[in-house]
Amino acid sequence: MNIQFNNRDPVYVQVVRYFKNQIAKGFLEPGQAIPSRRELANQLKINPNTAQRAYKEMEEEGLIKTEKNQPSRVTSDENVLQDLRDELIVQAVSEFVSSVKSINVSLDEALNLVKQKYEKGDSDD
Amino acid sequence: MIEVNDVVKKFGRKEVLKGISFTANKGEITCLIGINGVGKTTILNAIMKLTPINSGEILVDGKKVTKSTFEKITFIPDSTIMLPGFTINEAMDFMNDYYEVWNQERANEFLKFFRLNPEDKISTLSKGNTAKTNLLLGLSLDVDYVLMDEPFSGIDMFSREQIAEVFTTHLIEDRGVIITTHEINDIEHLIDKAVLLDEGEIYKEFNTEEIREEEGKSVVDVMREVYRG
Repeated sequence: MNIQFNNRDPVYVQVVRYFKNQIAKGFLEPGQAIPSRRELANQLKINPNTAQRAYKEMEEEGLIKTEKNQPSRVTSDENVLQDLRDELIVQAVSEFVSSVKSINVSLDEALNLVKQKYEKGDSDD
Repeated sequence: MIEVNDVVKKFGRKEVLKGISFTANKGEITCLIGINGVGKTTILNAIMKLTPINSGEILVDGKKVTKSTFEKITFIPDSTIMLPGFTINEAMDFMNDYYEVWNQERANEFLKFFRLNPEDKISTLSKGNTAKTNLLLGLSLDVDYVLMDEPFSGIDMFSREQIAEVFTTHLIEDRGVIITTHEINDIEHLIDKAVLLDEGEIYKEFNTEEIREEEGKSVVDVMREVYRG
């Protein structure tokens, strides 16, 4: 587990974003146990208060569940997982649209490029 | 909580602290930031009663600092505090003799964490290892508050990383930490609260996650505004 933190976004938000990506990509599976707050702070080299805050946020969003005396687990709720996937897709597409729009790329041109790239399997990931 | 209320300190005619007020909570890392000579170390010395203040007051958990407070709070200076002829082992024995709250188990964890050899003489240690030994001696006391003066200055990058790592572990968790630095980069994302000082005054006191969330600014951004704006 390794995150390159930027200094302008709240650290807890960056941690939540990281977990969302891991879940959406399937690296963290539904029901899988995640590290304790203390372990997470240690692994990511962050303040334990920040780890606590990130987990609280994810609990409120329903992404993770914590039962008493048990490690926190990724939710198995299909709706939450679907919503998460939608959220990430919409976010990525919005970013893409606003950046191609800013350099005056037409919709057709953009779609064509997307199609070509997608089929070639090009990805920076 | 450590409360510093309207503290004034003069050296002769020179006023080095001009009515300083801030608080540091237990369970949080509060960072005093400022260039050299703005009074950071003087504040820590004042909290520890190592230097008298001219006016104002300092409270720890609502009480004035007395001898018994020193079993609750520890000061880690940036220079060697032990006799140079001591080995680390002897220094640990020395601490054990003087403090009821000395925790040898924790000290052993630190030896391992920092990869220090307890047989080494303190006078033969590198600068980085001297800083680590100071941290070991200070943080192995079971105290609620820790004051650290410039733990990163003049130390190689890997030692700095290792020292910063301490802040993310149970070795520091739940304690109240006040740390002074003029190099914020190493610990920018680790601190809860920043207190910006200049020429004996506090320019700004803020919670770091809040300022990122509400204004999208890093600690360095705020510093730039304050010191150059």
